Amino acid sequence: MQTTILIVSLILMAVVGVAYARAVYATDGPPAGPGANKARSALLWGMIVFGVILSVGTLREGVYDVAGPAPMVVNVSGGQWWWEVDTYEIPLGQEVEFRVTTEDVSHGMGIYTPGMTLVAQVQAMPGYTNKLVHTFDAPGTYQILCMEFCGIAHHDMVNEFNVLEAAE
Amino acid sequence: MTDATYEIESIASENPHAGWIKLTMGLGGVVFLLMMIFGLIMRAGQGGIIDLDPVIFYQLLTAHGAGMVGSAALSGAAILWYFVARHVTLSIKIYIIFLGLFLAGVVFILGSIFIGGYGGAWTFLFPLPAISGGAWEAGAAVAFCVGYLLIGVGFLLYYLEMAYNISKSFGGLFGGLGWKFIVNGDSKTAPPPTIIAASSVIVFNSIGIVFGAIVLGASIINLLIPSFAVNALLAKNAIYFFGHVFINATIYMAVTAVYELIPEYTGKPWKTTRLFAIAWAAVVVFVQIVYFHHLLQDVNMPAWALATGQIISYASGVPLIAVTVFSTALYIKGSGMKWDLATKLLVLGVGGWGIGVIPAMIDGMVSVNKLMHNTQWVPGHFHTYLLLGEVAMAFGFAAWLGRDKSSQDQSGLDRFAFQAYLAGGFGFVLMFFWSGASSIPRRWAVHYDEWQLQSQIATVFAAVVILATTLFVLRYVEIHFDERNTPMVHLETDEIVGIEVLSSGEKQLFIILGEALLQEERPVVFISDEPELSLHVSWQAALFEHIRSLNGSCQIISATHSPDIVGSFQDRVIKIEQCIRDVH
Ligand code: HEM
Ligand SMILES: [Cu+2]
Repeated sequence: MQTTILIVSLILMAVVGVAYARAVYATDGPPAGPGANKARSALLWGMIVFGVILSVGTLREGVYDVAGPAPMVVNVSGGQWWWEVDTYEIPLGQEVEFRVTTEDVSHGMGIYTPGMTLVAQVQAMPGYTNKLVHTFDAPGTYQILCMEFCGIAHHDMVNEFNVLEAAE
Repeated sequence: MTDATYEIESIASENPHAGWIKLTMGLGGVVFLLMMIFGLIMRAGQGGIIDLDPVIFYQLLTAHGAGMVGSAALSGAAILWYFVARHVTLSIKIYIIFLGLFLAGVVFILGSIFIGGYGGAWTFLFPLPAISGGAWEAGAAVAFCVGYLLIGVGFLLYYLEMAYNISKSFGGLFGGLGWKFIVNGDSKTAPPPTIIAASSVIVFNSIGIVFGAIVLGASIINLLIPSFAVNALLAKNAIYFFGHVFINATIYMAVTAVYELIPEYTGKPWKTTRLFAIAWAAVVVFVQIVYFHHLLQDVNMPAWALATGQIISYASGVPLIAVTVFSTALYIKGSGMKWDLATKLLVLGVGGWGIGVIPAMIDGMVSVNKLMHNTQWVPGHFHTYLLLGEVAMAFGFAAWLGRDKSSQDQSGLDRFAFQAYLAGGFGFVLMFFWSGASSIPRRWAVHYDEWQLQSQIATVFAAVVILATTLFVLRYVEIHFDERNTPMVHLETDEIVGIEVLSSGEKQLFIILGEALLQEERPVVFISDEPELSLHVSWQAALFEHIRSLNGSCQIISATHSPDIVGSFQDRVIKIEQCIRDVH
């Protein structure tokens, strides 16, 4: 997923960058013709229409992941500079609802795969319990990394848990 | 001096506030450079190239964040002030107070970090300043907040002065915003682009700073009286509202340099169209509600706020790309504009800004944000529109301030510096995007081995950026602070040369006419012996007329062997030969 995001972003940046660079380099060429204003309107309306479609398409189902009827609840609490998890073994394919709290400052719970790819995250904020719903689709040892700067040992605030294939 | 080949230019006498603005840009440039070096040290630390103590890393991170945002704000404010002063009268006293408060704020902030050990990042996210885990005392955090407040107060004064004077000249702030023009469409009521930009920034940044001041005040009270607690989610909203608006305002201030300077090169005015005014009106609204995208991982926020964060992140890019970037390209294409360091950097600034917003729009999507939030993707996009946007515009403006001296001998070096900045800058931000896509979190002092390659390459690119920036700064300092106000000569060929290359006759003319000009019409007597020496005959004939046209109240007495020099004043000649004969 991250790779797709990177490639799409780089392509869009390159398209805008190259179009812009070509136009501004051509200071000695012919000036923009009368069609240019039309092109600007087309771009403007094109972006607006695309934005409406994109927004409706991506937000139609709401902004939060909501757990189904029988999630496994995992309580996570954070503090300077540790994570505590009440279950270190999570079955593969089981929907999990993490309930994340903090005992001091804001932290961020980022869940990393065994290959160190970020798959989900949520903030931990004093006075609140933040829910994160996720279903693991590969077994292995996952890491929890802190994603919100919380002081001088922020980068040491890690823990791990296992996702296990269900014993038949 | 109508038919004169030379034009005496005293450097940038154009703007009444030029001296203070130049000083500000010099300070800003030096601080940018210093903060880049802090950035280089951090990146080298992340790459494992140097062994950097995490405590120092987080102090550098705090200083770099606050220092860069501060320098961007300072340079943006200097640019905006300079150009608004072209359209309305502003009191330089207010500017000096603003600058003084700003520098006082900087002293507090630097002291809090490097003496007090504060390392809670420029975002001072509540309650981190008060709960440091032993790294710093409450006093250090208080000093940091007080530093911000001083800067904020300075900015509010600055905006108040501008708002007052713009309102006076343009029929209230709505006139200045161009909203009246949007409604009535009468181009006679269209304010200049700079005034629209200024009015817009005044509105949203003043609101942003007030919210910032409130949460800073609350944080200070919390630091002094820990039992006074603030709702963390509310505080976070206020901080990110303030932070987002404030950092965006830096670019919206700096872009006035593009509106004002590019036309000086093309001869075409940058016109206020209705589309332009509407795009700015959209900015005023969007910039204030888009900050929700910083809270997409705070699932206790109402759903509408998160949806707004995503929608407005996208919407913010629309006027920028479809209006600002597109119109700049249209305007420059085929304009015959001459490229020098100033125009290159200004044009880059618009492009870097427009390109940098794309990954921000994408990161503003809820589904993407879950994977990119607080990874190095985020410094990726804001370094793009700051380093290659705001900062490029600032150095472009600075290069323009020093344009008189640079055209000839420095152009090779200028070209090199620009290319290095461009290549180094793009390489540097690209590494952040790669890092973000590799799930590397931001604000981590220590990186795992498998994350270090990106940081190592980025370190090299950063060094190239720093080299280029050093050249920009040296060039600027050399031009403005090394020499006295040496007069320059603007040749018909557009070349600008120092007076030392003039012939002795030209030098003499320069001295005589320069002196006449500086007398500013005061009654004086001009006595000379053989002023025709080394002057061309055609100049001899016109000399006295030119002197009198520069100073009509002067009396000229001259001993001469040249009958030409008196020109049309033949009836005023006293021939000594005659006098002697009369005595005998
Ligand atoms: C050579 C140029 C630069 C270098 C090497 C550099 C380096 C860095 C690094 C390594 C970080 C921390 C990244 C992380 O979170 O892991 C950072 C953060 C940051 N930089 Fe830069 N930077 C440069 C230029 C700039 C410029 C020009 C600006 C703005 C005008 C800027 C503004 C910031 C801000 C606001 C942060 C965030 C600080 C925080 O997370 O608290 N940087 N920079
Ligand atoms: Cu943390």
